[in-house]
Parts: sequence; structure tokens; C-alpha cells
Amino acid sequence: MAEQTFALPDLGEGLVEATVLEWLVRPGERVERNQPLVELETTKSAVEIPSPCSGTVVRLHASEEETLRVGAALVTFEVDSAAGIVGTVPGGERPTRRVRLRPPAE
Amino acid sequence: MSAPRPADPHPETTGTASPALLRDFYRTMLTARLLDEEAVALQRQGVFPAYVSLRGQEAAQVGSAAALDRDHDFAFPTYREMAVALALDVDMVGYLASHRALWHGGLYDPMRSRFAPINAVVGGPVPHAVGWALGERLRGDPGCAIAYFGDGASSEGDVHEAMNFAAVFAAPVVFFCQNNQWALSVPNDRQVAGGSIAARAAGYGMPGVTVDGNDVVAVHAAVREALERARSGAGPSVIEARTYRLGPHSTSDDPGRYRDPDEERRWRERDPIARLRAVLERDGHADTAFFEEAEREAGEQAIRIRDGVSSAPPPGGEEMFTHVYREPTEALRAQQRAWREEAEL
Amino acid sequence: MTELSIAEEPVPAPARGPSMQQAINLALEKVLEEDPTTLVFGEDVGRLGGVFRVTDGLQRRFGAERVFDTPLAESGIVGLAVGLAMNGWRPIPELQFDGFAYPALDQIVNQMARMHYRSRGTAPMPITLRLPSFGGIQAPEHHGESLEALFAHVPGLKVCAPSDPADAYRLLLQSVRADDPVIYMEPKARYWDRGPAELAEPTEPIGSSRVVRPGRHATLVAWGAMVHRCLQVADLAAEDGVDLEVVDLRWLKPIDADGLAASVARTRRAVVVHEAPLTAGLGAEVAALITERTFGDLLAPVQRVTGFDVPYPAGPLEPQYLPTLDRVLLAVQRTLEA
Repeated sequence: MAEQTFALPDLGEGLVEATVLEWLVRPGERVERNQPLVELETTKSAVEIPSPCSGTVVRLHASEEETLRVGAALVTFEVDSAAGIVGTVPGGERPTRRVRLRPPAE
Repeated sequence: MSAPRPADPHPETTGTASPALLRDFYRTMLTARLLDEEAVALQRQGVFPAYVSLRGQEAAQVGSAAALDRDHDFAFPTYREMAVALALDVDMVGYLASHRALWHGGLYDPMRSRFAPINAVVGGPVPHAVGWALGERLRGDPGCAIAYFGDGASSEGDVHEAMNFAAVFAAPVVFFCQNNQWALSVPNDRQVAGGSIAARAAGYGMPGVTVDGNDVVAVHAAVREALERARSGAGPSVIEARTYRLGPHSTSDDPGRYRDPDEERRWRERDPIARLRAVLERDGHADTAFFEEAEREAGEQAIRIRDGVSSAPPPGGEEMFTHVYREPTEALRAQQRAWREEAEL
Repeated sequence: MTELSIAEEPVPAPARGPSMQQAINLALEKVLEEDPTTLVFGEDVGRLGGVFRVTDGLQRRFGAERVFDTPLAESGIVGLAVGLAMNGWRPIPELQFDGFAYPALDQIVNQMARMHYRSRGTAPMPITLRLPSFGGIQAPEHHGESLEALFAHVPGLKVCAPSDPADAYRLLLQSVRADDPVIYMEPKARYWDRGPAELAEPTEPIGSSRVVRPGRHATLVAWGAMVHRCLQVADLAAEDGVDLEVVDLRWLKPIDADGLAASVARTRRAVVVHEAPLTAGLGAEVAALITERTFGDLLAPVQRVTGFDVPYPAGPLEPQYLPTLDRVLLAVQRTLEA
């Protein structure tokens, strides 16, 4: 058993956030893959998110009517197998760099 | 997720097909439905950036694809022909790779599959079918092309040009329009002047027929006839399969903003899979054991493909440069080297 | 910088004003209100309100005669605009995605761009062609293209690309009120980012750039979503004691050559950043303009950081194709070392 957190995906071509309309599961509840988890609203539409894994709901990371950024934690599951959660989520725009600059001599 | 049951107790179909063929249609249509549901879920789960559902169009797609000669014909799809791909035994992990954005055209082999790369330009592939078909005629080969397009695409100049070309050159091509009533948010009455895409064939001097696109037997018969005609040298024809896009245009779309739920409900009652099941039951061509087995097999296949595409490795950055040319330029090689140096910093 | 440029603006704090798609919507509402000859049309712009909701509510407010859905045919949409313009209307057509401007190129290049010229100035052509553009949103094929160099190359067209909501508002008002055809390129990747609550009328002439961040060691030149990328680079460079100026070009034709020259004459180094492929991209034009005007001041050759000469790639390759922070930083370092 392992805990895994499912983050809010981009639900439609570059959307940056979504609002929780209604939770369809509760902490402690057993869910099967593709079971409806939550209804979200984006600027484009209202969508139901199917569970990405089978397991037990441990935590819901947002309350109803709360708006989340894409990439923010949505639900934490205790999953049957560690490979349970599929996919990747855009990690937001946290700039990362490797190149350092040397200022010019004044 | 389970097979749709008939809402309409009076199964209807036109034409006939062998019981074995009907059962094949059913299995393929059901697999397409279940795989389509998995694909929609994968988008909601962040695996696919976007997906375009074909829900409701399984009969039109499977019936038309099943009429093709797998050894000689060639299909030109748009971006919504998943059930055509399935019916033609295209590598479905490679097909769905397009929706996972691993490679725009998909990762299957289009030439060996005889199923062109997924094409997102509305109407764009239709002239290609004409060119491919002309190529067969010029060489004296027996193949026919089928061009898939929708009611929206029928407005594009490319589609009109392709029809005219096909008739002028007597190209062995079938223009197969899935009229699913909605071009994104625009309904037929604001899209198709005159109300019929099939009727346009007359203007180009070729036969045009309208079929019930949710009746797999009728679709199959119409496409078979059009292919026979094309193969015999009698030229192109247009088939308009009237069907319905039960889902949104894409996972980024919300039909609630423009479509009447009653209309959706009426079309759901004409679900092509439920109708075929009713025909099979009425005529005694399939029993409960068949339906249970079909559902189990379809579900397993859908999950196998789903898991395959979910875990497929993303292409490496080098692939950006690999297929731009058959004969790469030095300038492009230099860009690739610069890219690699930066990637390996 | 020069008189041509509007006042320098500080980098805005995280704001909850309108997003860019809302700002464009408000600008469309304003021009529909102030000018009864304006018409908004295209695929799905009416009942749906556009796939990015840029035209949301406009059909309800102004009616289906002035805000309408067309059949699905891009060449037809632009051709329709040309005819409407010749008959005294001020069309604001939308092509749904960048890649779908290619099917309309004949009407854009052969017709819209030169009808005024062909008619010896008698045929008015005040068209604003809105084009959701550029990449960065992991969209399907043909939904991530950068066509600015093609358009800029066509005599008779003007071209602009905003980088934030407030400027999107100003540039749209200016484009619609202009009497020449303008291609208005909307960076899809920035649609949902919000800006300050205040939206203002344009005060600067067509063809002016703006300094979005002043600096003294080198000038970064960009437009659309790459302005944001350059501001990120400037923040990182500041950590290293390198002070970068960022110029948002805004107008890609005409280009603010004086503004560019004024900035580079001061910083003496320039890097131009764009999403489009390198070869014959607009960066070449920018580099040439800078070189022509500031050759004697330059301490290093103008650098270009661009997409590669490859078709715009799918999802996971997208971040490798688009100019990365490191690629821009490397180019800056090259100018510092020269």
C-alpha cells in the first residue's frame, strides 16, 4: 500500500485553474478506477473527473467552491499498487535553470 | 461501463448481412465504445491533453470500414475515426498515441495499415483520397480510396474541389460523410445549405445517397455498393451517413452551451450499438452468452490498449529533427547539434 | 525609450483583473458598441462564444446579424470579410486556430492584403483578422503555429501580437479602428493569465514597442507569450548581477525600429526570442534592423533564440522546441562574452 496524490490536470487546452463544484467521494471511501470523483468547473465547461486509480480516498485537498491551479493537489489515495496513478500533470511555470551568467566588466 | 441496451423495443435495420458479420460488427462497435470511454477518462485524468469522442458514430465507422478490401483499399481519416482504425486492425496504441500527444499523426504505420495519418485539418485529407485513387487507376491497380469527412468539412473548398476532380478523373473513390449534425457548435441548418451533402453529388455528376448512419447494415451495404462501382471503373460517389455526435466536439468543449438536451436524449435512444443488439436478439443470431463474452472481450481489449498508450514512452527530443526530410540539410543537422548540446548541459 | 513608445510599466504583481481572453472580449464589446459597422464572425464565435470564450455573450448582446457563426471554411471567412469591407463594413473575423489560417492564405495574401492597392485606394479594407496563435498549450497539430513572419512578409498587412491583458485590449481597439487590414495574433498560452483591473484606451501610434523591463546589460526582444519567458530570464539574470532590458515588440509590422535602436544603443547587446522556426523568422528582420541602426554600438552580434526548423511538435516535445530559459541565458552569455 502506498499514498499517491492526484494533481489537477489541464482540462482543456491551456486552462490554468478549475473550481470544485461537488465532491462525489469522501475520505475513507473505497473507489474503483474511473469512478466519478469530483465535479469541476473550468472557464470552458463543467466536467466530472474519473478516479485515476483504485484505492481508498485519504484526503481531499480542496473544499467545494474553491478554485485550484492546474498542478495543485486534488486527492490523495491509498492505492493498491504503486503504479496506480496514470499520467503526468503540467508542473506549472516554476522556472528552472542550469545556466549561470557572468556579468560583463563595467 | 457496460454495453448500451436498447431503449427502442423495435429493432430496425435495412438490408441483410450474415449473422457472423453482424456479430463481428457488434464486437468491434462495442470495443470502440468502451475504448472511447477509457480515452475520455484518460483526458480527465491528465494523460491525454485532449480527445475527440466518436460516441454515437460506431455504426457509420465500423460499417464503412468493414466494406473495404484490406489488401487493396486505403482509408483517409480525419481525427475522429477511431472505430475505423479499430475495424481495420490499426495498432490502436499507436493510434491513441496521437491523443496522448506523443506524435501528431499517431505512431502506427499508416502505409502498412492502409490508414493515413490522423489529420486535424478539416477537409484537408479529402483531395488526398482522390489523388491516391487516381494513382491506382493510372497504374491499373484495383484499389479504391475512401475519404472520411464530416458535415462541417463539407463546407470547405477542398472537399468541393476533391469531388469535382474525382468525377473529372473518374477516380475510384468513395466520399463518406458522417453527418453527425453538429460541426462543433454549429448545427446542420447553419452549415449545409440545401440540407443534404449527398445531393451535392449530382452537381458533380456522380451518385449520392443518404443512409441511416446508425444502422450498421445499411452503411455497410451502401459503402460496398459504392466500392464495387468505383472498382468497376464507374467512378466516384458520395455517401452521407446521418448519425449523431453524442458527446462534445472534443474534451475541451461543452455542448450544454449550444445544444438541446432533448435532442441528445432522442439520439441516445437510437444508439447504434443498442440497435444492433436488438437486431441480433430479434433474429436469434446471438444469445446472452455471446453478449457477455463480447462485453468481457471488448472491456479487456479496451483496458489493454488504454494501459498500453498510458505507459508508452514519450519520444525523445531527437525525434523532432528525424523526419523533417528524407535528405536532411546541414543547417538542420547543425540545429540538432545545438539542441543536443543545450539538452546535455 | 523613444516618443514612439508608451510609458514604461513595472512588472505587474499577480493580479485578478480580466484575463487576456476577457480583455479581448471587452475590447470587442467596446468596438461593437461604438461603431455600428463592426461585425464579428467566424467558426463557433456566436452561440458558443468561441472555443476560448473570447466572443462570449457578444451575440446575445448585439444580435446574430452582427455576431455570427459561419460555415466551416476559412478561405470563405476571409473572402466574406473582403466583400463586406468593400461594402462599407468593418469586419472582425476570427480564424479558430493559427494552423487554419493556411487554408485562408489565398484570400489573406492575394485578396485582403492588396485590394486597397489594386483599387488604387478606392476600396476600403478595415479588417481585423483575429488569430489565436503560437504554442505552449499541448494542443493538437495545427494549433501551435507561429505565422507572423509569413504575414509580415506580405505587403499591405499590419501585424500585432499582445503579451498581456491590458495590452491586448489596447491593441485590439487600435487594430479595429485602423483603416488597413491587421492580423491580430492572440497568444493562446497567455489567454487565462490575469492582468491589472484597469483597461485603458490606446494612446501610442501603431507600430510602437514598449520596454516592459528596463535594464542596462543587454536587450531581450520578444512578442506574445515569449515576452513572459524573457521576463523570467531577466529575473534569473538579475540573480547573477546581469541587468536585462525586455522589449515587447507588440507590432510585428510595422516594427518599431527606432525603439529597438534606442534600447540597443544603450545596452549594446541584443537577443531576439521567438517561437517560430529560425530560418527566415521575424528574428532575422529584428536582427537586421538593429544591426543597420546600431552597428557601431554593438558589442556582440545579435543573437536569435527560436524554435527549430521542424514542424511544431506534439506535447512532450513542445517544451524542448520552444525557447527554454537556458537557451535564452546561453545566448545572453554569448553576447556578454563577445
